[in-house]
Amino acid sequence: MKIAVIVFPGSNCDVDLYEAFHSVLGADVEYVSHREHSLAGFDAVMLPGGFSYGDYLRCGAIARFANIIPAVRQMAEDGKFVFGTCNGFQILTEMGLLPGALKQNDSMQFVCKTVDLTVVNDQTAFTSRYQKGQTIQLPIAHGDGSYYADLQTIQQLEDHHQVVFRYAGENPNGSLHDIAGICNRQGNVLGMMPHPERAVEVLLGGTDGLPLFQSLLDQQTVRTEAE
Amino acid sequence: MTTVRIFVTYKPSVFDPQGAAITDAIHTLGHDEVGSVAVGRFFDLSFNDEVTDLDAAIKDVATKLLVNFNMETYHYQVLEAAE
Repeated sequence: MKIAVIVFPGSNCDVDLYEAFHSVLGADVEYVSHREHSLAGFDAVMLPGGFSYGDYLRCGAIARFANIIPAVRQMAEDGKFVFGTCNGFQILTEMGLLPGALKQNDSMQFVCKTVDLTVVNDQTAFTSRYQKGQTIQLPIAHGDGSYYADLQTIQQLEDHHQVVFRYAGENPNGSLHDIAGICNRQGNVLGMMPHPERAVEVLLGGTDGLPLFQSLLDQQTVRTEAE
Repeated sequence: MTTVRIFVTYKPSVFDPQGAAITDAIHTLGHDEVGSVAVGRFFDLSFNDEVTDLDAAIKDVATKLLVNFNMETYHYQVLEAAE
């Protein structure tokens, strides 16, 4: 399993993601600049948190036009694994790889704290090491993390078990249905506002993010005909 | 040259936290006659004379970039028409 961490101008969780795989898990991971056009040879791609392109227009709206984005879209279509956390989640929705949008927190406050989450779906490539119904603790740090979609879309997400994580207890941003993370219908694209990469060592305050990356590394790699 | 002002706002069904906060502040000023405030933003686009179908160009830019139709809507007005 070879993993790419995309670096956009304004990314600031790229190192956290890289080190979660490299230092903590000893996995094969590389940084890939947004200027590149290819992700050939990679099995999974990570879109990090941060403030790509200064959050101009809308969070994630400009990153969608980066050179590397068609390759990210191709990986999703090929059944390879695509993960976005925080700004990465916002980019995935702006790209249309995940439905809905992330809007400004209802409180209008930037919220930075550790929250309780419920694992709603443990059948995805990213959550097989968790158990359904398990409560985990992960940090959040965002001003625009309120998940919004029309009621029909929300119902479809629920019907197809695409809600992967929910805020447990207090909802920190006004997300509909307490949604903290969703996957696509096929289950190979996951976006979430919380930061699992900031919870991979006891020294960081917790290790509840580790099973997410371990789950991914458990997966069989997908090879396309071109490879 | 033609200048077009494109207004982007939340759909009426979407909670607008800034609008709600500003409404509260207006009520604090004593203006209870203000029922609600909707916050949005506008973009002024200056088109040069090469534009052939202005409405189509505006729609394309709005739908592909300026507006996120999951939560937003838009309208526009032509500020300065070509002579």
